[in-house]
Amino acid sequence: MVCVAQPVIQVDELARTFRSRKGLFRRTGKEVEAVKGVSFAVERGELFGLLGPNGAGKTTTIKMLITLLMPTGGQARVLGHDVVDDARDVRRKVGYVFGGDRGLYERLSGLDNLRYFAELYGVPPRESKQRIAELLELVGLDGREKERVEGYSRGMRQRLHIARGLLHRPEVLFLDEPSIGIDPVGARELRATVKNLVDTGTTVLLTTHYMFEADELCDRIAVIAQGRIVALDTPAGLKQQVATGSVLEVDVFGLPDGVVEKVRAEPDVLAVAVEVQGQAEVLTVHARPGTDVTP
Amino acid sequence: MNSLRIFFVGGLTSYRALFNWLTPWILVPTFLLTPLFQIFLFVYIGRTAGVSDDRFFLIGNAVVNAAVPCLFAMGNTIGGERNFGTLPLLIASPARRVPLFLGRALPVILNGFLVAVFALLVGALVLRVDIPPATWGGIAVAIAVCSVSCTGLGLLGAAIALRVRETAVLSNIALGILIVFAGVNVPVDAMPGWMQAVSGWLPMTHGIEAIHALASGRSVGSVGGALLTEVGLGACYALLGLAVLRWLEWESRVRATLDTA
Repeated sequence: MVCVAQPVIQVDELARTFRSRKGLFRRTGKEVEAVKGVSFAVERGELFGLLGPNGAGKTTTIKMLITLLMPTGGQARVLGHDVVDDARDVRRKVGYVFGGDRGLYERLSGLDNLRYFAELYGVPPRESKQRIAELLELVGLDGREKERVEGYSRGMRQRLHIARGLLHRPEVLFLDEPSIGIDPVGARELRATVKNLVDTGTTVLLTTHYMFEADELCDRIAVIAQGRIVALDTPAGLKQQVATGSVLEVDVFGLPDGVVEKVRAEPDVLAVAVEVQGQAEVLTVHARPGTDVTP
Repeated sequence: MNSLRIFFVGGLTSYRALFNWLTPWILVPTFLLTPLFQIFLFVYIGRTAGVSDDRFFLIGNAVVNAAVPCLFAMGNTIGGERNFGTLPLLIASPARRVPLFLGRALPVILNGFLVAVFALLVGALVLRVDIPPATWGGIAVAIAVCSVSCTGLGLLGAAIALRVRETAVLSNIALGILIVFAGVNVPVDAMPGWMQAVSGWLPMTHGIEAIHALASGRSVGSVGGALLTEVGLGACYALLGLAVLRWLEWESRVRATLDTA
Protein backbone atom coordinates (compact mmCIF):
# COMPACT_ATOMS: atom_id res chain seq x y z
CA MET A 1 0.00 0.00 0.00
CA VAL A 2 1.33 3.41 -0.91
CA CYS A 3 0.83 6.18 1.63
CA VAL A 4 0.53 9.64 0.18
CA ALA A 5 1.38 12.31 2.72
CA GLN A 6 -1.45 14.76 3.19
CA PRO A 7 -0.55 18.45 3.41
CA VAL A 8 -0.48 19.67 7.00
CA ILE A 9 -2.46 22.75 5.98
CA GLN A 10 -4.84 22.53 3.04
CA VAL A 11 -6.63 25.73 2.06
CA ASP A 12 -9.17 25.74 -0.77
CA GLU A 13 -10.84 28.91 -2.04
CA LEU A 14 -10.91 30.33 1.49
CA ALA A 15 -12.80 33.60 1.73
CA ARG A 16 -13.84 36.01 4.43
CA THR A 17 -16.13 39.00 4.10
CA PHE A 18 -16.57 41.44 6.98
CA ARG A 19 -19.89 43.17 7.37
CA SER A 20 -20.13 46.26 9.54
CA ARG A 21 -23.00 48.60 10.30
CA LYS A 22 -22.90 52.10 11.70
CA GLY A 23 -25.36 54.81 12.64
CA LEU A 24 -27.97 54.76 15.38
CA PHE A 25 -31.19 55.22 13.42
CA ARG A 26 -30.32 55.06 9.74
CA ARG A 27 -27.94 52.14 9.95
CA THR A 28 -25.78 51.76 6.90
CA GLY A 29 -23.99 48.56 6.11
CA LYS A 30 -20.58 48.07 4.59
CA GLU A 31 -18.96 44.92 3.26
CA VAL A 32 -15.24 44.36 2.96
CA GLU A 33 -13.87 41.27 1.25
CA ALA A 34 -10.66 40.73 3.22
CA VAL A 35 -9.82 37.34 1.73
CA LYS A 36 -11.09 36.47 -1.74
CA GLY A 37 -10.72 32.75 -2.28
CA VAL A 38 -7.12 31.86 -1.48
CA SER A 39 -5.78 28.34 -2.01
CA PHE A 40 -2.49 26.81 -0.92
CA ALA A 41 -1.08 23.77 0.81
CA VAL A 42 1.70 23.52 3.37
CA GLU A 43 3.67 20.29 3.69
CA ARG A 44 4.95 18.80 6.95
CA GLY A 45 8.15 20.45 8.19
CA GLU A 46 7.85 23.32 5.74
CA LEU A 47 8.25 26.98 6.59
CA PHE A 48 5.62 28.65 4.48
CA GLY A 49 5.34 32.40 4.22
CA LEU A 50 2.40 34.67 3.50
CA LEU A 51 3.98 37.88 2.26
CA GLY A 52 2.01 41.03 1.64
CA PRO A 53 1.43 44.63 2.66
CA ASN A 54 -0.76 45.67 5.59
CA GLY A 55 -4.41 44.93 4.90
CA ALA A 56 -3.62 42.25 2.32
CA GLY A 57 -5.54 39.55 4.24
CA LYS A 58 -2.66 37.72 5.93
CA THR A 59 -3.93 37.97 9.52
CA THR A 60 -7.49 37.21 8.48
CA THR A 61 -6.26 34.04 6.76
CA ILE A 62 -4.34 32.98 9.86
CA LYS A 63 -7.30 33.73 12.12
CA MET A 64 -9.46 31.42 10.02
CA LEU A 65 -6.83 28.68 10.21
CA ILE A 66 -6.55 28.86 14.01
CA THR A 67 -10.38 28.86 14.35
CA LEU A 68 -10.73 32.43 15.62
CA LEU A 69 -12.77 33.40 12.58
CA MET A 70 -15.28 31.45 10.52
CA PRO A 71 -14.69 31.56 6.77
CA THR A 72 -17.52 32.95 4.68
CA GLY A 73 -16.44 30.81 1.76
CA GLY A 74 -14.23 27.87 0.87
CA GLN A 75 -12.71 25.49 3.36
CA ALA A 76 -9.50 24.75 5.21
CA ARG A 77 -8.10 21.73 6.98
CA VAL A 78 -5.25 21.75 9.48
CA LEU A 79 -3.68 18.37 10.27
CA GLY A 80 -6.73 16.79 8.65
CA HIS A 81 -9.23 18.67 10.84
CA ASP A 82 -11.75 21.04 9.39
CA VAL A 83 -11.28 24.50 10.94
CA VAL A 84 -15.04 24.99 11.27
CA ASP A 85 -16.32 21.56 12.29
CA ASP A 86 -13.36 20.31 14.32
CA ALA A 87 -12.25 23.56 15.94
CA ARG A 88 -11.23 21.99 19.27
CA ASP A 89 -9.05 19.36 17.56
CA VAL A 90 -7.31 22.09 15.59
CA ARG A 91 -6.78 24.18 18.73
CA ARG A 92 -5.13 21.31 20.59
CA LYS A 93 -2.53 20.81 17.90
CA VAL A 94 -1.58 24.27 16.71
CA GLY A 95 0.26 27.16 18.28
CA TYR A 96 -0.37 30.81 17.55
CA VAL A 97 2.00 33.71 18.07
CA PHE A 98 1.30 37.27 17.02
CA GLY A 99 3.48 40.34 16.99
CA GLY A 100 3.22 43.42 19.14
CA ASP A 101 3.16 44.26 22.81
CA ARG A 102 -0.18 42.82 23.81
CA GLY A 103 -1.42 39.30 24.52
CA LEU A 104 0.32 38.76 27.86
CA TYR A 105 -0.79 39.22 31.46
CA GLU A 106 1.22 42.29 32.44
CA ARG A 107 0.88 41.87 36.20
CA LEU A 108 2.08 38.28 36.17
CA SER A 109 5.68 37.17 35.80
CA GLY A 110 6.83 35.59 32.56
CA LEU A 111 6.91 32.27 34.39
CA ASP A 112 3.31 32.60 35.62
CA ASN A 113 2.17 33.56 32.12
CA LEU A 114 3.70 30.36 30.79
CA ARG A 115 2.28 28.29 33.66
CA TYR A 116 -1.22 29.61 33.00
CA PHE A 117 -1.14 28.95 29.28
CA ALA A 118 0.29 25.50 29.99
CA GLU A 119 -2.86 24.83 32.02
CA LEU A 120 -5.07 26.12 29.21
CA TYR A 121 -3.35 23.82 26.72
CA GLY A 122 -3.55 20.80 29.00
CA VAL A 123 0.20 20.33 29.49
CA PRO A 124 0.53 17.86 32.40
CA PRO A 125 1.94 19.57 35.53
CA ARG A 126 5.01 17.30 35.72
CA GLU A 127 5.90 17.94 32.10
CA SER A 128 5.02 21.61 32.34
CA LYS A 129 7.88 22.54 34.68
CA GLN A 130 10.53 20.95 32.48
CA ARG A 131 8.95 22.25 29.28
CA ILE A 132 8.82 25.81 30.57
CA ALA A 133 12.49 25.63 31.60
CA GLU A 134 13.43 24.35 28.12
CA LEU A 135 11.46 27.10 26.39
CA LEU A 136 12.83 29.86 28.60
CA GLU A 137 16.29 28.73 27.61
CA LEU A 138 15.31 28.46 23.94
CA VAL A 139 14.04 32.03 23.81
CA GLY A 140 16.78 33.40 26.07
CA LEU A 141 14.57 34.45 28.97
CA ASP A 142 16.03 32.14 31.60
CA GLY A 143 16.97 34.23 34.62
CA ARG A 144 14.31 36.86 33.83
CA GLU A 145 11.27 34.61 34.17
CA LYS A 146 10.30 35.77 37.67
CA GLU A 147 10.02 39.41 36.66
CA ARG A 148 6.64 40.91 35.87
CA VAL A 149 5.92 41.16 32.16
CA GLU A 150 5.09 44.87 32.51
CA GLY A 151 8.86 45.43 32.88
CA TYR A 152 9.82 43.43 29.79
CA SER A 153 11.14 45.04 26.62
CA ARG A 154 9.27 44.52 23.36
CA GLY A 155 11.80 41.91 22.24
CA MET A 156 11.48 40.01 25.51
CA ARG A 157 7.70 40.02 25.20
CA GLN A 158 7.93 38.68 21.68
CA ARG A 159 10.23 35.89 22.81
CA LEU A 160 7.82 35.09 25.64
CA HIS A 161 5.05 34.93 23.02
CA ILE A 162 7.07 32.36 21.09
CA ALA A 163 7.61 30.29 24.24
CA ARG A 164 3.89 30.48 25.01
CA GLY A 165 2.99 29.31 21.53
CA LEU A 166 5.29 26.28 21.87
CA LEU A 167 4.24 25.08 25.33
CA HIS A 168 2.11 22.18 24.11
CA ARG A 169 4.58 21.12 21.41
CA PRO A 170 2.30 22.13 18.52
CA GLU A 171 2.74 20.31 15.24
CA VAL A 172 1.96 23.52 13.40
CA LEU A 173 2.95 27.00 14.51
CA PHE A 174 1.29 30.12 13.11
CA LEU A 175 3.45 33.22 13.39
CA ASP A 176 1.60 36.41 12.56
CA GLU A 177 4.15 39.17 11.90
CA PRO A 178 6.30 38.08 14.85
CA SER A 179 9.11 40.56 14.25
CA ILE A 180 6.92 43.64 14.01
CA GLY A 181 8.22 46.50 16.14
CA ILE A 182 11.33 44.80 17.48
CA ASP A 183 14.86 46.06 16.87
CA PRO A 184 17.12 44.51 14.18
CA VAL A 185 19.13 42.47 16.68
CA GLY A 186 15.96 41.13 18.32
CA ALA A 187 14.49 40.35 14.90
CA ARG A 188 17.63 38.48 13.89
CA GLU A 189 17.47 36.40 17.08
CA LEU A 190 13.83 35.73 16.45
CA ARG A 191 14.55 34.50 12.93
CA ALA A 192 17.23 32.20 14.33
CA THR A 193 14.68 30.79 16.79
CA VAL A 194 12.18 30.20 14.00
CA LYS A 195 14.83 28.41 11.93
CA ASN A 196 15.60 26.17 14.90
CA LEU A 197 11.94 25.29 15.24
CA VAL A 198 11.72 24.18 11.65
CA ASP A 199 14.88 22.12 12.12
CA THR A 200 13.12 20.27 14.94
CA GLY A 201 10.26 19.33 12.61
CA THR A 202 7.65 21.97 13.41
CA THR A 203 5.64 23.16 10.45
CA VAL A 204 5.49 26.95 10.43
CA LEU A 205 3.17 29.34 8.63
CA LEU A 206 4.62 32.82 8.88
CA THR A 207 3.07 36.10 7.80
CA THR A 208 5.26 39.10 7.22
CA HIS A 209 5.46 42.22 5.16
CA TYR A 210 9.26 42.20 5.23
CA MET A 211 10.54 40.73 1.95
CA PHE A 212 14.00 40.00 3.30
CA GLU A 213 12.50 38.09 6.23
CA ALA A 214 10.39 35.92 3.94
CA ASP A 215 13.38 35.43 1.64
CA GLU A 216 15.69 34.42 4.50
CA LEU A 217 13.31 32.09 6.29
CA CYS A 218 10.73 30.58 4.00
CA ASP A 219 10.87 27.43 1.89
CA ARG A 220 7.97 28.77 -0.15
CA ILE A 221 6.20 32.10 -0.19
CA ALA A 222 2.67 33.04 -1.21
CA VAL A 223 2.46 36.71 -2.09
CA ILE A 224 -0.93 38.03 -1.05
CA ALA A 225 -2.40 41.35 -2.11
CA GLN A 226 -5.93 42.66 -1.70
CA GLY A 227 -7.13 39.30 -0.47
CA ARG A 228 -5.77 37.23 -3.35
CA ILE A 229 -2.64 35.17 -3.81
CA VAL A 230 -0.83 36.74 -6.73
CA ALA A 231 2.26 34.50 -6.73
CA LEU A 232 3.38 31.33 -5.00
CA ASP A 233 6.85 29.83 -5.34
CA THR A 234 10.21 29.38 -3.65
CA PRO A 235 12.04 32.63 -2.89
CA ALA A 236 14.41 31.97 -5.81
CA GLY A 237 11.50 31.19 -8.12
CA LEU A 238 9.67 34.36 -7.13
CA LYS A 239 12.76 36.47 -7.73
CA GLN A 240 13.12 34.86 -11.14
CA GLN A 241 9.50 35.73 -11.99
CA VAL A 242 9.91 39.40 -11.23
CA ALA A 243 13.42 39.83 -12.62
CA THR A 244 13.41 42.58 -15.21
CA GLY A 245 17.13 42.94 -15.31
CA SER A 246 20.23 43.68 -13.26
CA VAL A 247 21.08 47.17 -12.12
CA LEU A 248 24.58 48.15 -11.14
CA GLU A 249 25.35 51.48 -9.54
CA VAL A 250 28.96 52.70 -9.42
CA ASP A 251 30.10 55.79 -7.54
CA VAL A 252 32.86 57.43 -9.50
CA PHE A 253 34.98 60.56 -9.27
CA GLY A 254 36.00 62.03 -12.62
CA LEU A 255 34.51 59.64 -15.13
CA PRO A 256 36.93 59.39 -18.13
CA ASP A 257 35.63 60.38 -21.55
CA GLY A 258 34.27 57.53 -23.67
CA VAL A 259 33.57 55.12 -20.79
CA VAL A 260 29.81 55.59 -20.95
CA GLU A 261 29.77 54.89 -24.69
CA LYS A 262 31.99 51.85 -24.20
CA VAL A 263 29.70 50.35 -21.54
CA ARG A 264 26.62 51.14 -23.61
CA ALA A 265 28.12 49.22 -26.53
CA GLU A 266 28.26 45.96 -24.51
CA PRO A 267 25.70 43.46 -25.93
CA ASP A 268 23.82 42.75 -22.64
CA VAL A 269 23.60 46.34 -21.48
CA LEU A 270 20.18 47.91 -21.98
CA ALA A 271 20.82 51.42 -20.73
CA VAL A 272 23.45 53.57 -19.05
CA ALA A 273 22.90 56.78 -17.14
CA VAL A 274 25.14 59.17 -15.25
CA GLU A 275 23.92 61.37 -12.41
CA VAL A 276 25.99 64.01 -10.65
CA GLN A 277 25.76 63.83 -6.82
CA GLY A 278 27.90 66.53 -5.22
CA GLN A 279 31.48 66.00 -6.22
CA ALA A 280 30.84 62.40 -7.27
CA GLU A 281 28.99 60.86 -10.19
CA VAL A 282 26.81 57.76 -10.11
CA LEU A 283 27.03 55.50 -13.12
CA THR A 284 23.90 53.34 -13.39
CA VAL A 285 23.99 50.36 -15.72
CA HIS A 286 20.81 48.43 -16.61
CA ALA A 287 21.57 44.98 -18.05
CA ARG A 288 19.54 41.98 -19.25
CA PRO A 289 18.19 39.54 -16.56
CA GLY A 290 20.82 37.10 -15.34
CA THR A 291 23.72 39.05 -16.76
CA ASP A 292 26.76 39.60 -14.58
CA VAL A 293 27.78 43.17 -15.27
CA THR A 294 30.39 43.44 -12.57
CA PRO A 295 34.00 43.53 -13.80
CA MET B 1 -7.80 16.16 35.96
CA ASN B 2 -6.90 19.01 33.64
CA SER B 3 -10.37 20.50 34.05
CA LEU B 4 -9.88 20.43 37.83
CA ARG B 5 -6.55 22.25 37.48
CA ILE B 6 -8.10 24.81 35.17
CA PHE B 7 -10.90 25.25 37.73
CA PHE B 8 -8.69 25.76 40.78
CA VAL B 9 -5.22 26.81 39.62
CA GLY B 10 -6.35 28.59 36.47
CA GLY B 11 -9.12 30.42 38.34
CA LEU B 12 -6.72 31.77 40.93
CA THR B 13 -4.05 32.70 38.37
CA SER B 14 -6.50 34.59 36.18
CA TYR B 15 -7.79 36.43 39.26
CA ARG B 16 -4.24 37.58 40.03
CA ALA B 17 -3.66 38.42 36.38
CA LEU B 18 -6.74 40.45 35.69
CA PHE B 19 -7.46 42.59 38.72
CA ASN B 20 -5.50 45.73 39.30
CA TRP B 21 -7.22 46.37 42.61
CA LEU B 22 -5.06 43.78 44.33
CA THR B 23 -2.66 46.54 45.33
CA PRO B 24 -3.39 47.82 48.86
CA TRP B 25 -3.95 51.39 47.61
CA ILE B 26 -6.89 50.21 45.56
CA LEU B 27 -8.07 47.24 47.62
CA VAL B 28 -8.46 49.01 50.97
CA PRO B 29 -10.60 51.96 49.80
CA THR B 30 -12.65 49.85 47.40
CA PHE B 31 -13.44 46.89 49.58
CA LEU B 32 -13.00 48.08 53.12
CA LEU B 33 -13.78 51.80 53.34
CA THR B 34 -16.46 52.37 50.72
CA PRO B 35 -18.83 49.73 52.15
CA LEU B 36 -18.49 51.31 55.61
CA PHE B 37 -19.28 54.78 54.25
CA GLN B 38 -22.34 53.37 52.51
CA ILE B 39 -23.48 51.69 55.73
CA PHE B 40 -23.01 54.86 57.81
CA LEU B 41 -24.87 56.96 55.23
CA PHE B 42 -27.95 54.77 55.15
CA VAL B 43 -27.98 54.08 58.89
CA TYR B 44 -27.99 57.82 59.61
CA ILE B 45 -30.62 58.47 56.94
CA GLY B 46 -32.68 55.67 58.50
CA ARG B 47 -32.27 57.15 61.96
CA THR B 48 -33.31 60.60 60.73
CA ALA B 49 -36.31 59.30 58.84
CA GLY B 50 -37.27 56.83 61.56
CA VAL B 51 -37.98 54.20 58.92
CA SER B 52 -36.32 51.20 60.52
CA ASP B 53 -33.70 50.25 63.08
CA ASP B 54 -29.92 50.42 62.54
CA ARG B 55 -29.62 46.66 62.15
CA PHE B 56 -31.85 46.65 59.07
CA PHE B 57 -29.70 49.16 57.20
CA LEU B 58 -26.46 47.64 58.47
CA ILE B 59 -27.28 44.15 57.18
CA GLY B 60 -28.64 45.25 53.79
CA ASN B 61 -25.78 47.61 52.98
CA ALA B 62 -23.05 45.30 54.30
CA VAL B 63 -24.26 42.29 52.33
CA VAL B 64 -24.94 44.14 49.09
CA ASN B 65 -21.28 45.14 48.99
CA ALA B 66 -20.42 41.52 48.21
CA ALA B 67 -21.90 42.39 44.82
CA VAL B 68 -19.00 44.74 44.02
CA PRO B 69 -16.43 41.97 43.41
CA CYS B 70 -19.11 39.47 42.37
CA LEU B 71 -20.41 41.69 39.55
CA PHE B 72 -17.40 43.79 38.57
CA ALA B 73 -14.64 41.21 38.97
CA MET B 74 -16.66 38.52 37.26
CA GLY B 75 -17.60 40.86 34.41
CA ASN B 76 -13.93 41.69 34.10
CA THR B 77 -12.96 38.07 33.48
CA ILE B 78 -13.72 38.76 29.82
CA GLY B 79 -13.30 42.55 29.76
CA GLY B 80 -9.85 42.29 31.34
CA GLU B 81 -8.76 39.69 28.79
CA ARG B 82 -9.82 42.08 26.06
CA ASN B 83 -7.81 44.91 27.62
CA PHE B 84 -4.67 42.78 27.84
CA GLY B 85 -5.17 41.46 24.30
CA THR B 86 -5.30 37.90 25.62
CA LEU B 87 -8.93 37.25 24.67
CA PRO B 88 -8.10 35.78 21.23
CA LEU B 89 -5.58 33.45 22.89
CA LEU B 90 -8.15 32.35 25.44
CA ILE B 91 -10.75 31.70 22.75
CA ALA B 92 -8.23 29.90 20.54
CA SER B 93 -7.22 27.62 23.42
CA PRO B 94 -8.70 24.12 23.68
CA ALA B 95 -9.56 24.56 27.39
CA ARG B 96 -13.08 23.52 28.36
CA ARG B 97 -15.13 26.62 28.95
CA VAL B 98 -17.21 25.46 31.94
CA PRO B 99 -14.28 24.81 34.34
CA LEU B 100 -12.42 27.77 32.84
CA PHE B 101 -15.09 30.32 33.70
CA LEU B 102 -16.55 28.66 36.81
CA GLY B 103 -13.00 28.47 38.18
CA ARG B 104 -12.73 32.21 37.70
CA ALA B 105 -15.83 32.58 39.88
CA LEU B 106 -14.28 30.86 42.90
CA PRO B 107 -11.85 33.62 44.06
CA VAL B 108 -14.52 36.19 43.25
CA ILE B 109 -17.03 34.45 45.56
CA LEU B 110 -14.45 34.39 48.36
CA ASN B 111 -13.67 38.06 47.73
CA GLY B 112 -17.36 39.02 47.92
CA PHE B 113 -17.85 36.96 51.07
CA LEU B 114 -14.91 38.58 52.88
CA VAL B 115 -15.97 42.10 51.89
CA ALA B 116 -19.50 41.59 53.24
CA VAL B 117 -18.37 39.88 56.47
CA PHE B 118 -15.83 42.65 57.15
CA ALA B 119 -18.41 45.37 56.51
CA LEU B 120 -21.00 43.69 58.73
CA LEU B 121 -18.53 43.03 61.54
CA VAL B 122 -16.92 46.46 61.60
CA GLY B 123 -20.26 48.20 60.97
CA ALA B 124 -21.83 46.37 63.93
CA LEU B 125 -18.91 47.27 66.20
CA VAL B 126 -18.78 50.93 65.22
CA LEU B 127 -22.54 51.48 65.28
CA ARG B 128 -23.00 49.28 68.38
CA VAL B 129 -25.58 47.12 66.65
CA ASP B 130 -26.34 43.96 68.59
CA ILE B 131 -26.03 40.82 66.50
CA PRO B 132 -25.93 37.81 68.88
CA PRO B 133 -22.65 35.84 68.55
CA ALA B 134 -24.57 32.57 68.19
CA THR B 135 -26.13 33.82 64.95
CA TRP B 136 -22.86 34.66 63.18
CA GLY B 137 -22.29 31.13 61.86
CA GLY B 138 -25.64 31.04 60.09
CA ILE B 139 -25.17 34.61 58.87
CA ALA B 140 -21.80 33.66 57.38
CA VAL B 141 -23.43 30.78 55.49
CA ALA B 142 -26.13 33.12 54.18
CA ILE B 143 -23.54 35.70 53.09
CA ALA B 144 -21.64 32.95 51.25
CA VAL B 145 -24.85 31.96 49.50
CA CYS B 146 -25.48 35.59 48.51
CA SER B 147 -21.93 35.79 47.07
CA VAL B 148 -22.47 32.62 45.06
CA SER B 149 -25.79 33.75 43.60
CA CYS B 150 -24.52 37.24 42.81
CA THR B 151 -21.49 35.76 41.06
CA GLY B 152 -23.94 33.80 38.89
CA LEU B 153 -25.31 37.14 37.72
CA GLY B 154 -21.70 38.35 37.28
CA LEU B 155 -21.01 35.39 35.00
CA LEU B 156 -23.89 36.51 32.81
CA GLY B 157 -22.24 39.95 32.70
CA ALA B 158 -18.93 38.32 31.75
CA ALA B 159 -20.61 36.53 28.87
CA ILE B 160 -22.12 39.77 27.58
CA ALA B 161 -18.59 41.23 27.62
CA LEU B 162 -17.86 39.07 24.58
CA ARG B 163 -20.15 41.43 22.68
CA VAL B 164 -20.02 44.69 24.68
CA ARG B 165 -16.77 46.41 25.57
CA GLU B 166 -17.85 48.47 28.60
CA THR B 167 -18.87 45.85 31.15
CA ALA B 168 -18.43 48.23 34.10
CA VAL B 169 -21.50 50.16 32.90
CA LEU B 170 -23.60 46.98 32.99
CA SER B 171 -22.22 46.03 36.41
CA ASN B 172 -23.04 49.50 37.77
CA ILE B 173 -26.62 49.22 36.53
CA ALA B 174 -26.95 45.73 38.05
CA LEU B 175 -25.56 47.00 41.38
CA GLY B 176 -28.01 49.92 41.35
CA ILE B 177 -30.90 47.54 40.70
CA LEU B 178 -29.81 45.36 43.63
CA ILE B 179 -29.57 48.36 45.98
CA VAL B 180 -33.08 49.48 45.03
CA PHE B 181 -34.91 46.17 44.62
CA ALA B 182 -33.17 43.54 46.79
CA GLY B 183 -34.46 44.75 50.16
CA VAL B 184 -31.23 46.57 51.03
CA ASN B 185 -32.71 49.87 52.19
CA VAL B 186 -36.42 49.34 51.64
CA PRO B 187 -38.12 46.23 53.05
CA VAL B 188 -39.46 44.12 50.19
CA ASP B 189 -42.88 44.02 51.92
CA ALA B 190 -43.07 47.82 51.71
CA MET B 191 -42.48 47.90 47.94
CA PRO B 192 -45.23 48.16 45.34
CA GLY B 193 -46.35 44.84 43.86
CA TRP B 194 -44.35 45.14 40.62
CA MET B 195 -41.16 45.90 42.54
CA GLN B 196 -41.75 42.87 44.78
CA ALA B 197 -42.15 40.74 41.65
CA VAL B 198 -38.80 42.00 40.31
CA SER B 199 -37.02 41.57 43.65
CA GLY B 200 -38.08 37.93 43.87
CA TRP B 201 -36.00 37.19 40.77
CA LEU B 202 -32.88 39.00 41.89
CA PRO B 203 -29.88 37.53 43.66
CA MET B 204 -29.41 38.79 47.24
CA THR B 205 -33.12 39.41 47.97
CA HIS B 206 -33.75 36.02 49.57
CA GLY B 207 -30.33 35.91 51.20
CA ILE B 208 -30.72 39.33 52.84
CA GLU B 209 -34.18 38.32 54.02
CA ALA B 210 -32.65 35.18 55.57
CA ILE B 211 -29.89 37.18 57.29
CA HIS B 212 -32.46 39.53 58.83
CA ALA B 213 -34.31 36.49 60.19
CA LEU B 214 -31.10 34.89 61.49
CA ALA B 215 -29.99 38.11 63.21
CA SER B 216 -33.32 38.32 65.00
CA GLY B 217 -32.71 34.87 66.47
CA ARG B 218 -34.34 32.45 64.07
CA SER B 219 -32.62 29.14 63.27
CA VAL B 220 -30.76 28.28 60.06
CA GLY B 221 -33.35 25.58 59.37
CA SER B 222 -36.15 28.12 59.36
CA VAL B 223 -34.49 30.11 56.57
CA GLY B 224 -33.46 27.04 54.56
CA GLY B 225 -36.12 27.70 51.93
CA ALA B 226 -34.93 31.27 51.34
CA LEU B 227 -31.31 30.13 51.07
CA LEU B 228 -32.20 27.35 48.64
CA THR B 229 -34.11 29.84 46.52
CA GLU B 230 -31.06 32.10 46.58
CA VAL B 231 -28.76 29.26 45.47
CA GLY B 232 -31.27 28.21 42.79
CA LEU B 233 -31.40 31.74 41.38
CA GLY B 234 -27.61 31.93 41.33
CA ALA B 235 -27.42 28.59 39.52
CA CYS B 236 -29.99 29.81 36.95
CA TYR B 237 -27.99 32.98 36.27
CA ALA B 238 -24.74 31.00 36.04
CA LEU B 239 -26.27 28.49 33.59
CA LEU B 240 -27.71 31.33 31.55
CA GLY B 241 -24.28 32.98 31.62
CA LEU B 242 -22.54 29.83 30.36
CA ALA B 243 -25.15 29.42 27.60
CA VAL B 244 -24.78 33.06 26.51
CA LEU B 245 -21.00 32.69 26.68
CA ARG B 246 -21.13 29.70 24.35
CA TRP B 247 -23.45 31.46 21.95
CA LEU B 248 -21.51 34.73 21.89
CA GLU B 249 -18.20 32.90 21.48
CA TRP B 250 -19.60 31.20 18.40
CA GLU B 251 -21.06 34.49 17.20
CA SER B 252 -17.75 36.29 17.72
CA ARG B 253 -16.14 33.87 15.28
CA VAL B 254 -18.91 34.47 12.76
CA ARG B 255 -19.07 38.25 13.12
CA ALA B 256 -15.43 38.92 13.97
CA THR B 257 -16.28 40.84 17.13
CA LEU B 258 -13.47 39.61 19.39
CA ASP B 259 -11.11 42.46 18.58
CA THR B 260 -13.63 45.11 17.78
CA ALA B 261 -16.49 44.87 20.27
